[in-house]
Amino acid sequence: MGIDLRRIYGSIRNLAIIVIVWEILGRLQLVASGALPPPSAVVLRLIKDWGDYPGHIGATIFGAGVGFIIGNAVAIAAGVLFALYPLTSRVARGLNIAIFALPAIAISPILVLTLSDPVPRIVLAAIGCYFVTMTATVVGLTQVDARSVDVVRAYGGGKWKALWLVQWRSALPVILSGLRVAAPNAVLGSILAEFGGGGRWGLGVYLLGSLGRAEPDRLWGIGLVATLIAAAAYAVFALIANSITGSSQSVTVPTSLLRSDEEGRVRPLWQRGALIASSIALPFALWWVLLLALRVPAMIAKTPAGLLDYLVLLPSAPIAQGKLVAALAQTLPMTFIGMAAGLALAFALALCSQLWPAVVRAFMPVALVTQTMPLVALTPLLVLMLGRGTAVILAITISVTFFPAFVTMAQGLLMVPRAALEVPKAYGASLFTQLRLVSIPSSLPYLFAATRLTAPRALLGVMIAEWLATGTGLGNLLNQSRGYLDYGMIWSVAFVSVVLSVLFYQVVVVVERRVLGRFGMASAQ
Amino acid sequence: MSTASGIRVETVSRVFAARGTTVEALRDVSLDCPAGSFTALIGPSGCGKSTILRLALGLDRADTGTIEVGGLAPSDATKSGITGVAFQDAALLPWRSVEDNIALPLDVLGRPRAAHSAKIAELIALVGLKGFENALPSELSGGMRQRVAIARSLVTDPQVLFLDEPFGALDQILRKQMNIELQRIWMESQATTLLVTHGIDEAVFLADRVVVMQSRPGRISKIIDIDLPRPRRAELFADPAFHKLEAEVASALDGH
Repeated sequence: MGIDLRRIYGSIRNLAIIVIVWEILGRLQLVASGALPPPSAVVLRLIKDWGDYPGHIGATIFGAGVGFIIGNAVAIAAGVLFALYPLTSRVARGLNIAIFALPAIAISPILVLTLSDPVPRIVLAAIGCYFVTMTATVVGLTQVDARSVDVVRAYGGGKWKALWLVQWRSALPVILSGLRVAAPNAVLGSILAEFGGGGRWGLGVYLLGSLGRAEPDRLWGIGLVATLIAAAAYAVFALIANSITGSSQSVTVPTSLLRSDEEGRVRPLWQRGALIASSIALPFALWWVLLLALRVPAMIAKTPAGLLDYLVLLPSAPIAQGKLVAALAQTLPMTFIGMAAGLALAFALALCSQLWPAVVRAFMPVALVTQTMPLVALTPLLVLMLGRGTAVILAITISVTFFPAFVTMAQGLLMVPRAALEVPKAYGASLFTQLRLVSIPSSLPYLFAATRLTAPRALLGVMIAEWLATGTGLGNLLNQSRGYLDYGMIWSVAFVSVVLSVLFYQVVVVVERRVLGRFGMASAQ
Repeated sequence: MSTASGIRVETVSRVFAARGTTVEALRDVSLDCPAGSFTALIGPSGCGKSTILRLALGLDRADTGTIEVGGLAPSDATKSGITGVAFQDAALLPWRSVEDNIALPLDVLGRPRAAHSAKIAELIALVGLKGFENALPSELSGGMRQRVAIARSLVTDPQVLFLDEPFGALDQILRKQMNIELQRIWMESQATTLLVTHGIDEAVFLADRVVVMQSRPGRISKIIDIDLPRPRRAELFADPAFHKLEAEVASALDGH
């Protein structure tokens, strides 16, 4: 299903158009005076450099692959646990959000400081996968049609029977779409860890080494290879998901979703307080325990207490605070603007995917490229094109927020039940009316889910731009502190950026609950 | 099996709390369905008739009162495999074929499917789906899906059968056919049957007793015995005695 010759032909044609336009732009040096080399030059350079590649590709794929397997295995196991025992998900909530929100770039220096070579990339790749897949697993398992579960329960089947006979199979498309997003994330995580230092091999190392030498064709070659790896990983899971979704779409409109015992249950105040407290305490406890277990010297590795000293108690604390506040004043406004722009673009395009599927198919490769490219190869180009100012921060931020937001919202629109779409159609509604009456309202939960997803990523994007391009804000502070071996500040920036991301996330959650509650909708994870 | 397979509902109450308000789905409801009997529950939406069924299947728990199915607590009864159920919605698993959907209860109960292949084939023939064994639910019409659900409810040879508006989605003609079929199946199997329905004619045609319920709070307002001889045939739908009973049920529904 879904694979017919015309579609393949269309994709090839679109790709050809992009390549030809690019070639012309590059040949004539139209973009940023030669920073965009023509594809032919990139490919020639790639062939010339090919001897260097296998080692770097191997190292990146190894990190990404091992991280992908470990991260997803943990994620699926955790997802099953959270879905079957909702109480555990409430306790682990703080940890989950922290893992989701932590900007990879902020902790990569820390990982490199505390762990030896292949481990940081595996960890960052695994972290890149964990939240996406865990959430997909929980959603898939809980958003199952309650009636099917009732049938199993009516024959005395318990939680595990229902999981085995109904839930996992019906969750499979959702989990696969999670893996689809996780795959490029793993590649990205591995490359970001390579940025942070350590190791001799890896595309990130190669890129960083080539960044200083004004050779855009090599940079693009590296970016292209990284993108191809990410795209291939994405495509594999997209294909598998495609072949399965058709046979698991519910034929009738599910009137009710499976409700957990936890939902709608009002716990006494002290229990809720205890849950929230343990959910906040868990990440800190884990942070502390991990550092103890790894036996990292206290000079390098700051425990929560060490951080408190550095930021509040020591005589030098006011200076550190001042630096942080100044950096935040530069970073925060950019984060909000970039996020809003990225979301708006993604929502508009997701709606277009309903109206003009062909346009979206044509756009998809480009969207994929912006997913991996900007962090690696696009930055120098963007710097040359847009200067080292606000514009480049926004461009990078939009490109990292857009893709996950788009996937979430397009997925949401895809999940609108067939029958619900057919009702307005039966009254002769145009596609636009159908969109307005059914698709947009029912995608509201997904719009919020996308906002939750992108809020922390926006901060990541801004910090990457600040680190690599503009030399401002938190990103720069982190990079500088690396140079000065100011471990306290490295940990402080990492801590503050994680806390900020968690905060953004929480704000979105609160607004979401209010709005969706008013419309009587459940939130999409 | 006969004495042990009745359904006993004793002073059962169930209150649902939602969005600050409470709904009394059932208040002090008692009902005794002797082994081998056919009981129809009829009443307006929200009178708690489906709640009784869900309680008896162990899908929900009563606030007060007790329920026994075949002398066992509901969750034990379902686990022992003596019950069968068909819901208003077919609730078929979209990735399972007709055959595999019918076999689902066997998988839940951990019974070997090979031993039941003849039974499954027989049921497929019974509900008129021969040739569709390997079709997926999305390839079937609504009526066909519902018939798969009926076949599924019978695959365990249940001693107690729960039917929650199983024919609600079918057209009138098919529904009458299925009613006659169901009576035949029931007479053969001797299963204690509890049918939740909106159809007065269906209730009178099938049941030994029609239990009329009222809402807010959900309660039993009247029990009407149906003394029509069995097997009841299609002609019965046009019989004056049948109409008289229908009228009696209708006026009970109106609160008289």
